[in-house]
Amino acid sequence: MIALALQTLLLLGLSPLVTGAIRLGKARLQNRRGPPLWQPYADLAKFLRKDMVVSEHASWIFSVAPYIVFVTALLAGLMVPMVSVAAPLSLFGGALALVGLLALGRFFLALGGLDPASAFGGMGSSREMTIAAIAEPAMMLAIFTVALAAGSTDLTRIVQTTLEPAWGLANPMHVLAFAALFIVLLAETGRIPIDNPATHLELTMIHEAMLLEYSGRQLALMEWGASIKQLVLMTLLVNIFFPAGIATEITPTALGAGLLAYAAKLLLLSTAIVLVETTNAKLRLFRVPDLLSIAFAVALLALFSTFLFP
Amino acid sequence: MTTEFNIVAGLQRPLAEVRKMFRDRIGTVHAPRPNELYVDIPLDLAAGFCAHLHRKWSARLVSVFADDVRDAMNTAFPFPGVDGLASFPPGGSGAPAVPPNGGTTERTGDDAKPRGVAAGVPHRGVFHLYYVYALDQRHGFIIARAAVPADKPEFPSLTDAVHGVNWQEREIQDLFGLKLLGHPNPRRCALHDDWPEVFPLRKDFDLRTKLPPFQGPRHKFREVEGEGVFQVPVGPVHAGIIEPGHFLFSVAGEPVLYLQLRMFYVHKGTEKLFESLPVAHGVRLAESISGDSSFAHATAFCHAVERAAEIEPPPRARALRTLCLELERIYNHLGDIGAICTDVAFVTAHMHALRLKERVMRLNEHLTGNRLLRGMACLGGVRFDFDESQLEQLAQLVATLQPEFAALVELIRDSSGTRDRLETTGVLTPDVARDLGIVGLAGRASGVDRDLRRDFPHAFYEQLRFDIPVLTAGDVQSRLALRREEIFQSFAIINQVAAGMPDGPIRTAVGDIPPDRTALGYVEGWRGEIFHWVRTAPGNRLARCKVKDPSLQNWPALTEAILGNIVPDFPVVNKSFNLSYSGTDR
Repeated sequence: MIALALQTLLLLGLSPLVTGAIRLGKARLQNRRGPPLWQPYADLAKFLRKDMVVSEHASWIFSVAPYIVFVTALLAGLMVPMVSVAAPLSLFGGALALVGLLALGRFFLALGGLDPASAFGGMGSSREMTIAAIAEPAMMLAIFTVALAAGSTDLTRIVQTTLEPAWGLANPMHVLAFAALFIVLLAETGRIPIDNPATHLELTMIHEAMLLEYSGRQLALMEWGASIKQLVLMTLLVNIFFPAGIATEITPTALGAGLLAYAAKLLLLSTAIVLVETTNAKLRLFRVPDLLSIAFAVALLALFSTFLFP
Repeated sequence: MTTEFNIVAGLQRPLAEVRKMFRDRIGTVHAPRPNELYVDIPLDLAAGFCAHLHRKWSARLVSVFADDVRDAMNTAFPFPGVDGLASFPPGGSGAPAVPPNGGTTERTGDDAKPRGVAAGVPHRGVFHLYYVYALDQRHGFIIARAAVPADKPEFPSLTDAVHGVNWQEREIQDLFGLKLLGHPNPRRCALHDDWPEVFPLRKDFDLRTKLPPFQGPRHKFREVEGEGVFQVPVGPVHAGIIEPGHFLFSVAGEPVLYLQLRMFYVHKGTEKLFESLPVAHGVRLAESISGDSSFAHATAFCHAVERAAEIEPPPRARALRTLCLELERIYNHLGDIGAICTDVAFVTAHMHALRLKERVMRLNEHLTGNRLLRGMACLGGVRFDFDESQLEQLAQLVATLQPEFAALVELIRDSSGTRDRLETTGVLTPDVARDLGIVGLAGRASGVDRDLRRDFPHAFYEQLRFDIPVLTAGDVQSRLALRREEIFQSFAIINQVAAGMPDGPIRTAVGDIPPDRTALGYVEGWRGEIFHWVRTAPGNRLARCKVKDPSLQNWPALTEAILGNIVPDFPVVNKSFNLSYSGTDR
């Protein structure tokens, strides 16, 4: 119970920081001073204080969507081992439920974009679903690869397996699955080269377009939910593939060391994201499926290689 | 018939030909300046005259506008018996020096029997239509003037033949109340559908008129119908700090089937405003026509007034103008190159471009006191001189900017993702560009080899050596590459001017400007050719100032370039043209 509360707090508290760190890193690499690290917290506080303007054409779905997006992201986060190898929650087969929860959140996100019948929201929803149609299977395959090796889809079990010394970092299955999941991470979190989180051009938006009609508390939940989802996916990536340093027992020292290791790994992954975002232009929308197909093919190869190089 | 007109050599043959061809149908011919030839034609000859000039002399119809002279005491053209012409010094700054000779007006055909409206009937109770033709290879303008009787306010449309005058003709219809005949789409344009029936550019419309709240019908966009076709309205209020314009996309999925533009949301009545100001104040107004072309517009205005006043700015002033025009070109091109990159999310290049642009703008402020070069232009020259240290700083900036810009070019070139986004995106084919009369850099990126700096050298350009880069692919990448090449040319131009800076005064006194003179001023701004045409009024005022910004000509190119592209590519296509809303709406 305490673990549940602590991990919830960690998800809520840390996710805006990661968003802020990536933004700041990008700004620095672009020779800009950039917003302060804690800007996302200030934004959330501001949105939570503000009034909401809801389109008169919107139905109840529009108002419900932010809560579902937020809660599904949070629930998914509770199933991922963060600081400790034991995740506080394990429902319906772990990884499967995680992917399913994220899909549910996305479904309502897209509905929320469609509901007020604004042109941009519809475009955003349609693009999001196009991308999700390939990104989701790629993510499933990549997770299955490691699940096969661990013999379980439970994420705690998976991390425990990868912690074993017999588990080689450089085996092909491992590398391929990581590559696939990294591309999926870029797509799922709306990063360049798939989407541009910093643009003001509605016509080019994917994720942001679905949020255009949201304001106030609902916008805060949407933004926060997106940050949490990003943290969940990043955690998945660092802890499955590089579990080193994760706390295996529940003692204050182990947890403290685990937290430090976790933060360091997140920082490294954030840096990788920043580098990709700074050195790339956005792909043409119709080339995005190509990139995601690559992720899918790579994940498939990873799956095969578990049988080829057992 | 031999002619003793004081006109540039290039115009001699077209004039002789026109006279032979139309004989007594054309009225007075008048050349107030060597490269500016006025021909009076009857209204029904407008189309034929246009066809002849276009086919025979590849003339471009660069501007069509009207003038209300119903109450004018006399008009810009002297008529038989009216002794209105003094001798002219060599015309505008750009014209080759031809010794001035005496009266340059002459009746054509048999003098005795005037035919038609144009032929010598005093222009009382008429509107005038002006058709400005540029004969680029012949370095001269032929301006046809036709009278529209006030009791029959109609004029034939040329849009079916010259697509580029579509908006300009409709603007005349809206602002002067002259009905268009035979226009394929004669709906409201400059004044929106909900305007009351007023004609603001008529002289009897008072500038201070307060209109009642608009209650007319809203504009009906044409809808594309079909299964799965949606209309995506964008604007008129946009994200980002830009001006209003409405884009209605008809899309089937992501590909764009049709794009409708709606401009003129911020029609400010600038041309009317010019009529209320003393000429000297007009310079400041001209600066505000389009903020990113402040200096080019102000200079075009000054050029027009100087030509009307028959003065020429001293060489140093012209050199300084050239420097400022090129600085304006550089800072705008730099900004656009960055903005194109940011629209494909290659923000790193944008930040570097902004850094370079900022340095140019700071130098602008250092040289002229204003980052946008405002306040620099004035009638008869420029307001501020650059001293030795300032010129040295300018040379230094170019010297340091050149390698840094080259590095930025490399950075963009190395980004294959950026190239992939820009190449084959937003293609404006040369044929379409020529049909629409696309000017300036957008035209030159689509194979339209036109540049006033070379064809009608104004300011100091006749004494400089520079290339006019022309590309033919017409995609976003071409427009980016053209800007890149022009920046390098601008560096070279600045170096040349700074190296051979003439001494002397920076201003010539303009003095009193005689009334009822007409003059065309022109400048190749960074976006394209800018024309200001003035008719002077007594008391150093203007009876009419027509402003032609290149954006007005180029906006329709966007609807063509976007066809077949996908919606998320629109922002970068739009940015590659980077047209001015304010310059279009005025």
